[in-house]
Amino acid sequence: MNLEKHLPLTETTYYILLSLLEAGHGYAVMQRAEELSGGRVRIAAGTMYGAIENLLKQKLITSVPSKDPRRKMYRTTEEGAHVLQMEVQRLKHMIEIYHMIQGDE
Amino acid sequence: MRKFKLFWDFDAEEKYLNDMASKGYILKKYSMFGFYHFELSQPQKLNYKIDYRVFNDREEFENYIALFEDAGWKHVSGTKRSGVQYFLPMNEKAGTDIFSNRASAAMRYKTFYDICMVNFICFVFNLTVILLTTNGNLSNLTFLTPGLWEMTGKDFWSAFFFELPFVILRVLPLIAFAAAGVLYFYWGTKAKKLYNLRISEEKSN
Repeated sequence: MNLEKHLPLTETTYYILLSLLEAGHGYAVMQRAEELSGGRVRIAAGTMYGAIENLLKQKLITSVPSKDPRRKMYRTTEEGAHVLQMEVQRLKHMIEIYHMIQGDE
Repeated sequence: MRKFKLFWDFDAEEKYLNDMASKGYILKKYSMFGFYHFELSQPQKLNYKIDYRVFNDREEFENYIALFEDAGWKHVSGTKRSGVQYFLPMNEKAGTDIFSNRASAAMRYKTFYDICMVNFICFVFNLTVILLTTNGNLSNLTFLTPGLWEMTGKDFWSAFFFELPFVILRVLPLIAFAAAGVLYFYWGTKAKKLYNLRISEEKSN
């Protein structure tokens, strides 16, 4: 499967995939994303729900059994984790090339 | 109080509800086809937010509402199949909006457009089926009493009024399907235009 097509990730998607390496429900993801980004990325409820729906469709996350009957739990799939890795490689390269040209490293 | 109003622009609808609340009319319920039920209360400043989603199962609908509640938004009106979902902030966790980027706010218009087009196709299909049953002869839908138009006086009127309800029953669905089809197509085009507009705003930013 061609995972390249998912790149580059939006900041929202990046933090969702990262947060869901450990299973969690929608609101937990909103909290983790805010925490991980140092309070910078605040995903609102409607945006969060739409993003979950998309990622489920793209099979980058999957629904896992939940103890709470009202709240579904999700987890990043293997494909999702792979896309995340590819994105990190891409970002790493962008940063390295910056430092090379600026010559400050 | 009940008000009839049709919206295809969610931003305009939010503004309408906020304006009504500032006059003391609080949305109690939105029922299908543009009927808003308001309750008279204190004039207040409210911040209605509207999402557009249709759910296939109850469980998913509950999960959706739970996510909004967790994030500080109270679901005030909307059903599993209603599409429009109305929210009000219930604490400071909610912030000012249910969308944190323009693209996801614009997606509402895309979803609405898709649903309008599905409905449009359904109604056109129904219309076609009805028309096909007439074997291409539209007069099969009107009066069928043999020799009706040659009758005169009392005979004519009794035959006419006897068949009239059947004619109405045959023609009415046709008109209703055609009207619904046209309406959904019109709404769909409006929603699509707004979607394109919002997306182009997003790109120029």
